Amino acid sequence: METIFKVENLNLYYGAKQALKSLNLDIRKHHVTALIGPSGCGKSTFLRCLNRMNDLIEGCRIEGKVMMDNENIFDRQVNVVELRTKVGMVFQKPNPFPMSIFDNIAYGPRCQGIKNKKLLSEIVERSLKQAALWDEVHDRLHESAMALSGGQQQRLCIARTIAMEPEVILMDEPTSALDPIATAKIEELIEELKQEYTIVIVTHSMQQASRVSDDTAFFLLGEIVEFNTTQDIFQNPADKRTEDYITGRFG
Amino acid sequence: MRTNVKSYRNQKRNRHKIRRDKILKALFFTAALVSASAIAIIVIFITQKGITPFLNGDVSLVRFMFGTQWRQDQGVYGVGYIVINTLLTSFGALLLAFPISVLSALFIAKIAPKPIASFMTTIIELLASIPSVVYGVFAAGVITKLVMNMAAGLGLSTAGGSSQLAVILLLAIMITPTITSLSIAAIQAVDRDLELGSLALGATPTQTRFKVVLTSAKSGIFAGAILGIGRAFGEATAVAMVAGNKMFGPTFHPFDITRTLTSTMLSGLKETTGLDYDIRFSVGIVLMVVILLSNLLLNAIRKKIGKVSG
Repeated sequence: METIFKVENLNLYYGAKQALKSLNLDIRKHHVTALIGPSGCGKSTFLRCLNRMNDLIEGCRIEGKVMMDNENIFDRQVNVVELRTKVGMVFQKPNPFPMSIFDNIAYGPRCQGIKNKKLLSEIVERSLKQAALWDEVHDRLHESAMALSGGQQQRLCIARTIAMEPEVILMDEPTSALDPIATAKIEELIEELKQEYTIVIVTHSMQQASRVSDDTAFFLLGEIVEFNTTQDIFQNPADKRTEDYITGRFG
Repeated sequence: MRTNVKSYRNQKRNRHKIRRDKILKALFFTAALVSASAIAIIVIFITQKGITPFLNGDVSLVRFMFGTQWRQDQGVYGVGYIVINTLLTSFGALLLAFPISVLSALFIAKIAPKPIASFMTTIIELLASIPSVVYGVFAAGVITKLVMNMAAGLGLSTAGGSSQLAVILLLAIMITPTITSLSIAAIQAVDRDLELGSLALGATPTQTRFKVVLTSAKSGIFAGAILGIGRAFGEATAVAMVAGNKMFGPTFHPFDITRTLTSTMLSGLKETTGLDYDIRFSVGIVLMVVILLSNLLLNAIRKKIGKVSG
């Protein structure tokens, strides 16, 4: 099985406080990996390591390696802007730009210097179709994205990420601000997307993790307690703490 | 022991509260009425005074509106060219001040390290609170010299530096703090999630600042521009000190002297009576209309450019 991220002995500190403790895991290509655990366990912090969004946080220090394509993404010569075009991210709260639907999707490609209108239109259409949003918005591409519903906005943000043709899509609790129907649509979409992309998703919902993911990592106090296939984690947890958490005895 | 909330709910006290609510409401209403009627009284007074020269037949309204000469010594009052001069100097100042203000706001709000940012914010606030007469003295002493030297370098002569260019430079300096501080507020109000979203798409910090931060803040930045140009239109004291009060026009050459609506109203106000005094109120009406129309226009533009962000 092909690996896309190889995490080796990763430690992360916010000032003096250690937030991630010697993490080791392999994230499989074209699979969905779920990160679960109680609030403040470090799962979102770990997710933000993978596209180096933690660079923006003052006093954040990282030790160890995350290997992608035989290169440590924390290396000096790695271009962080390029890394983020390969590793896209969808946030907890839908955050469309205050522009038209078209401009939202075209934003990333335009930042890479694509100006050709026809090409941009193709990218927009393809991305919206992949994000299962095309049918709902194709007749109002030039209207404000802010007028869309929350679920549509989140799918727009996914479409915006897809437009960059990334290898990996990171999702930080992408459905926590959405209603059950919108959530179901996003989960369906994740199922579709893993054919082409690798997905790493942080979630608070046990059911969501078991429904959408192939592998699951259980985080507790900055450590990975258990990392295995989702089936094993949920049906046959090796660690007592994992069992307690997934059966709802704490967290 | 438990406090018994129920015993506090007595009817009499509640009736008191309702009456107090009514009294306070009446108080707020009175305050609103006082400020509204102050504006109404001013407008009525100025209008009444301002239309008398035309009602008495001293000055023809058409010649006043479209005139290109202002010769109080001959009783010729034409405000048309002065309106054009005022628009030129005010929008000229805005054109100069706007990019400088927006870029400094971007620097202060997003790029500068915290100590520098807060130091510069203090400076900007200080600049906004300097009285206009101080700016006027500065302009008369420094800007006019600068303009004189510039003109000399180009082989032109000026009236001691008093000129349209001096007015534009002065107004630009005066409105920069206003536009900057409103722009800072607008930029700081942009949701941090939008910036993160942009960076996560592989946009550089500079692309993010221009394409996401400024576009998201444009409505607030435009509000700053509207306030700034309002100040430029209305500034009298400082402008009168460097305008030169040209008697005919309009002035298109930057090194030529000019005359604005405000400088016309102000110059010699204390030494005059009769028609020459009353006509200043007419100019006041024109100024108010010019400001009103400009605001309507700019607000319409603001709504249009802000539509997509809705």
